[in-house]
Amino acid sequence: MTAATAPARSRLAAGRAGLATARLLRLELRHNAMLWLLPVVIAVFWLTTYRKTMALPPLWSPRADSLQTGVVIVFTAPVAGAAAWMGSREARRHVTDLVSVTARPRWARQLASWAATAGWAIVGYLVCLAAVYGVTAHQVHWGGPLWWPAAVTVASLAAVSALGFAAGALLPSRFTAPVVAVAAFFVLALSTQLIVGSQSYWQVSPIATGPWDGGPDPGVATFYPYVPDLAIAQFMFLAGITVAVLGGLALAAGPGGRRLGRPAAAVTAAGLLAAATAAGLAGTGTMDRHGMIAIPALHDAASDRPIPFTPVCSHTTIPVCLNPAFAGYLPATAAALRPVLSQLAGLPGAPARISQAAAVYHQEAGNGVAIGLAGPQLTGTPPVYRLLLPDQLGGPPLTAQAWASQLRIGTGRDIVASVIGAGPGASRAQDAVAAAIMLAAGVDPAVPIPGSPPPRNGGPRPSPGLALGSPGLAAAQRFAARPAATRHAWLVQHLAALRAGQVTVAQLP
Amino acid sequence: MTAGRVRAAPRSGTGVSGPRIRPGRRLAWLYAVGRRLPATVAVIVASAAALRIALTAGHWDSYGALQLPLVFETVAATAIVVSTASPFGEPERVAGRWLPVLRLATALALTALAAGALAAAGAGAPLAGGALDVLRNVAGITGLGLLCAALLGGGLAWTGPVAYLMVGAYALYTQWHPPALSTPWIWPARSPHDVGAALCAGLVFLAGLAIATVRGARDPAGE
Repeated sequence: MTAATAPARSRLAAGRAGLATARLLRLELRHNAMLWLLPVVIAVFWLTTYRKTMALPPLWSPRADSLQTGVVIVFTAPVAGAAAWMGSREARRHVTDLVSVTARPRWARQLASWAATAGWAIVGYLVCLAAVYGVTAHQVHWGGPLWWPAAVTVASLAAVSALGFAAGALLPSRFTAPVVAVAAFFVLALSTQLIVGSQSYWQVSPIATGPWDGGPDPGVATFYPYVPDLAIAQFMFLAGITVAVLGGLALAAGPGGRRLGRPAAAVTAAGLLAAATAAGLAGTGTMDRHGMIAIPALHDAASDRPIPFTPVCSHTTIPVCLNPAFAGYLPATAAALRPVLSQLAGLPGAPARISQAAAVYHQEAGNGVAIGLAGPQLTGTPPVYRLLLPDQLGGPPLTAQAWASQLRIGTGRDIVASVIGAGPGASRAQDAVAAAIMLAAGVDPAVPIPGSPPPRNGGPRPSPGLALGSPGLAAAQRFAARPAATRHAWLVQHLAALRAGQVTVAQLP
Repeated sequence: MTAGRVRAAPRSGTGVSGPRIRPGRRLAWLYAVGRRLPATVAVIVASAAALRIALTAGHWDSYGALQLPLVFETVAATAIVVSTASPFGEPERVAGRWLPVLRLATALALTALAAGALAAAGAGAPLAGGALDVLRNVAGITGLGLLCAALLGGGLAWTGPVAYLMVGAYALYTQWHPPALSTPWIWPARSPHDVGAALCAGLVFLAGLAIATVRGARDPAGE
């Protein structure tokens, strides 16, 4: 052999080995159980995840979170089961001795079989991802798709298939596949029982996308960038598990000698180290003010700065301005607030604009999360009323009618109160005028806010001064019955005195 | 079957060194060994023990408490349905006159054992739905698995119950997060006294039992 022909033969041999590996993978892809399970998995995905995800507001963050959680739960059991089934194939068919004399080492054959199983699972997931992201892309008004949740899901499928495959290879039995499938579902779906608060190691579970029990929140990752800290830790954990399990398979695969044994042991140790580090990092996470899990060691301070945006505004007497991500909500928001805003337009101290604000989040005891507005509702000169849409406040999803009612009654009442100064500590005249404005806007002040707890002791009135038959309620009804121009003129003239508590109920026209 | 198993089966079945066993009992024993029934029973008992431990040692929230029994019911049901896989295939079908009887008796006995063991595991513990729920769910999911065994083969018969587990768990979840999945065909999400759900589960069980009795699992030899 000459020096010139040796590299050429080496390249030829490498090319043949690559071709053989590709052929082996192709064979495994054609004869893989996961391929036949995909229709069932996609049907279950449609029933349990797609419909739920698409019912969420058309925003990237909540839909990406819902998709991650749903896909991981739906895919875990079938993928683990199929992988265990494939892993136990040689023993199940009693061909272990037969294939042990083939040119390929056992680990290489196992790797090809695992890769085919994980590959089909990932293809199935990508179909689901394309469906959700494709439809969402046509519905959203602002922002872009989130890819970290997709990366975590892919890593989950790889890890689950590796674990299932290893179980099947090491414990080949007809019971392995079903037991592994159900056990995987049990561990993943019910592991969230162990999550308490935002500082929990169990958040490394890939079905957690943020503060547990918070659910997909439309207010998260809209005003502030998506914080990928938890997703990075989860990805690292899952990749570590995958590497460790595959390395462990090589160790258990039998003859390989030092050539395979030492690298496999090193890979296994590295994988375990990565997984343990990631779990440790997840335990250091805390919920930040923007509703996402921040892990100090992984956190990028740039993600704490708000995303600049040009709001979209309505053409009402007092403009209602929303984050462009919520542009689809603008017509309904403006329509719900229009009756109240038309009553307030032109009054001294009335807001010049209603502007959507970012919600702030506080971790409460256990897994409770308090969501609210930071700072006063009315700020600046000219004053701007800072609004939180009902979707930003968490809670169960509302029908369109309940959503509009909550805005018209709850937010409308708050806007009026901020202008008149009504509420706790206010005079009866202030409460009466606020009630009159709500009556004039077509809202009975006694109507409870949808979604809020019912008043105790059956007391229907929001203020004790406005009880049935009280002088306050009579004054409110009298004032509301006045022509709009008369009311407006009186308020322009007396609003400052009314706010200062210098007007009595008897002095109302 | 490996050479070791071939040697082992006659020793245990015929009792060469022990007393003679009547042909009927010998047939039943050989059938049980061929279908891995001792291991099936072990899996059922283990699932019941795990349910007991989970119920008594764990602190479950509403979702967990409702979904927990369903998980273990599915384990027991999948163990029953994968036991339908035959290691002999076509030769056994041709030669086995008593096969339908053995299939029927085995499926009924194992389902009763699973329901009884899981119900016993929940005795005195906060088992969501109670024993009636366990009976309905185990029977229905086993029926579904038996149908899958006839369609896909005994080895892959677990796929139906596992898919149904996810649907059932989701239906239980929707009880808090409407719109709820309330069809009686998803019986785990219905009350234990719901007649429609019981009828659906019973119908699926009878259909699975009938097909498994008459046709058995669709199994290629060698799996």
